[in-house]
Amino acid sequence: MATASPDPLTTEFVGRRWPLLWLALRTGGLTVLTFGLYRFWMKTRLRRWYWSAIRPGGHPLEYVGDPFEKLLGFLIAVVFLAFYIGIVNLVLMFASFALFHGNVAAYALSFVGVMPLWFYARYRARRYVLARTRWRGLRFGLEPGAWGYAGRAMMHWLLTVFSLGLLLPRMTFALEKYRTDRTFFGTERFEQGGRWTMLYRAMRPLFVAAILLLVSITVFMTTNDPLPTILLGGLGGLLFVYGIVHYRVESLRLLTQEKRLSGVRLSLVASPMRVFWIMSIGYVLAVLSILLPGGILGYLVIALQFANEAPQASGIGLLRSLPHWVLITLSAMLYFSVFLIWSAVTHVFITLPTLRHYAQRLQVLHPQALSGIHQRPRDAAEQAEGFAEALDVGASL
Amino acid sequence: MQIRVGSGPPRFETAGHFLSGTHAQVDPVHVTVTEDNTALTWVDAQGETHLWPFPIIREVPDQSGRDILVLRNHYDSVQRLILPNRDIIPRLPNHAQVAPLANRGRLIAWAFAAVASVALIIGVLVPRMADQLALFIPPKGERALGETTLGQIRSALDDTGLAPIAICNQAAGQKALGLLTDTLTYHVDLPFELSVVVLDHPMVNAFALPGGYVVLFDGLINAAQTPQELAAVMAHEIGHVVSRDPTRHALRSAGSIGVLGLLFGDFAGGAAVLFLTERLINASYSQAAEERADIFAHELMRLAKIPPLALADMFRRLEQDDGGTPGILAHLSSHPQVRDRIRAAEQTQQVQPDFPVLDAQSWRALQQICAP
Repeated sequence: MATASPDPLTTEFVGRRWPLLWLALRTGGLTVLTFGLYRFWMKTRLRRWYWSAIRPGGHPLEYVGDPFEKLLGFLIAVVFLAFYIGIVNLVLMFASFALFHGNVAAYALSFVGVMPLWFYARYRARRYVLARTRWRGLRFGLEPGAWGYAGRAMMHWLLTVFSLGLLLPRMTFALEKYRTDRTFFGTERFEQGGRWTMLYRAMRPLFVAAILLLVSITVFMTTNDPLPTILLGGLGGLLFVYGIVHYRVESLRLLTQEKRLSGVRLSLVASPMRVFWIMSIGYVLAVLSILLPGGILGYLVIALQFANEAPQASGIGLLRSLPHWVLITLSAMLYFSVFLIWSAVTHVFITLPTLRHYAQRLQVLHPQALSGIHQRPRDAAEQAEGFAEALDVGASL
Repeated sequence: MQIRVGSGPPRFETAGHFLSGTHAQVDPVHVTVTEDNTALTWVDAQGETHLWPFPIIREVPDQSGRDILVLRNHYDSVQRLILPNRDIIPRLPNHAQVAPLANRGRLIAWAFAAVASVALIIGVLVPRMADQLALFIPPKGERALGETTLGQIRSALDDTGLAPIAICNQAAGQKALGLLTDTLTYHVDLPFELSVVVLDHPMVNAFALPGGYVVLFDGLINAAQTPQELAAVMAHEIGHVVSRDPTRHALRSAGSIGVLGLLFGDFAGGAAVLFLTERLINASYSQAAEERADIFAHELMRLAKIPPLALADMFRRLEQDDGGTPGILAHLSSHPQVRDRIRAAEQTQQVQPDFPVLDAQSWRALQQICAP
């Protein structure tokens, strides 16, 4: 093959805010009206929308997941998990009070007991999403291996905790390698290159933050002067929050540029500062947007609580003249609208801009090697992401 | 695209992209409408001719880029035809039709299995186990469970967000409360020591907690017209303590809340639905327990020479007050059964009091127990 390789494929992002806001509000409203049943359709439709907005080399990704298979997977998960959660929680609560005279032990044990399931669910969810994602007509895929993933994740978490976070890059790398080495595009397998130590550079802001926090504690221990402690500690805390975002974005960038798909390489020049900025602005906007309905709701709840005590002339007294059920209906509507608005605003001002940033900074290098790749068979992925849905694993997309 | 003037529909042709779904190449294709205006046709890069009749063409929905139209074919799940505009849409009668539901039977079967398994666990398994385990929990653990729950309730009822609501401990009031408790419990052996606590809150309510806690709200003490009425409510709550209802209840909700959380997931405000459902389950659960506690209260009152009729008086007062009872929860309490419980208290064997259960001074002190 000639040494002059063709230009890399750049990625377009075509999603706009208004259509997404409308889609998120509409599907969210239907979810509330159906007591949560529509959430499988909501998730499917939002994914279809996001996927189609990302166009590497000018061709959109397509999400072909089906809401009914999600519902089915969820039902299957409920049959198994209801037993586990119900009985285990009950027994733990009993044991905890009988032996330790408190509920802390129960919560801790229950948390530890669910953790392997949580990682299992994450892997299964990823497998499902990849199996339902296509680009240029070819399916992605992830080999089975969820329990292996859960076992490794538990072990690495333990190591990370015992090393006070120093082995975090080892965990990030090992888990990403486990997933990537089992990921396919069509017939071709991905491969994660690089070494785990390369991720230490992504931790720099976290190290600086840790030093600042340690210094602030030392200063307080020796001088008892609160002012430098507050200043240093505040700076350290802020840098720590930034450091977490920095680590996530930077490690993603480093790992992505070491991924291989036959001859194809990827490049992601994402900026941690930009992502941090998007998230800061996004959350500020989200909080501002729920202030009004949230405030009215708080006022109504107080009105309901103190309806008997308040003097007639005050605003609360006037509310009292309304029938009780009107107040309750109003409160319920406001309560749901707070969640709806929050979800829609975070989609529009956090998920969309973050995804756009990543997409626009993503390039596919040496794309000529794609031509040798063929279709892979369909993965039934029967349980879909049922376990992830039931356990609320918290994948935003 | 050209527009032909004359009879018949205008000729349609456009450049497009075809995804065969067998390899990663995107074929640029020239798409036309057949002569009889019934299908789209093109030749792909392999030289193969494709013919998609209009009725089997579907639009791939929820696409964010409106600059293209993605079409699929009802009989092939991987092939895609991408057109640069939506001009063809009016000719596709079924473009918006959704894919039919595959595996309907399996879906229904698993839905039934899920409902049955949840019903079995919440309705049978968890209550049975809670009933059994409640007997084995050691007194110290039960006491801790009660303390924890009382702390949670005190924080939950606080509206200021500053501190949990106060426990009233005005000395003379405490003494009167102790007197009332002793009168009631003089004739019975309790499984553990009773702790009667008054909370500074206007709600007209009372409840029992694991470990021998009986909790009265200041609102209830003020609503009671006579010490007998208050004693009646206390006797009822002591009935719960004796049959260990609160302990079962606590273990039960530990199990069922987790399962319900599973069902509702994290959809907008799912927590509220979860909370209400849990309340409803508990309300129905407590019907039998309430009746048992009432019967116990009648007996306890007869032993203490207090006419059980006082319980009926108190229920009536609660019912009248209910219009003004603050809070949403009052509406979920066991409403229709109150009449039956009043009738039961009236029809049970009555006794003549030898002496008032509290003298006027002690009763006043008890009503002032939350005074600063």
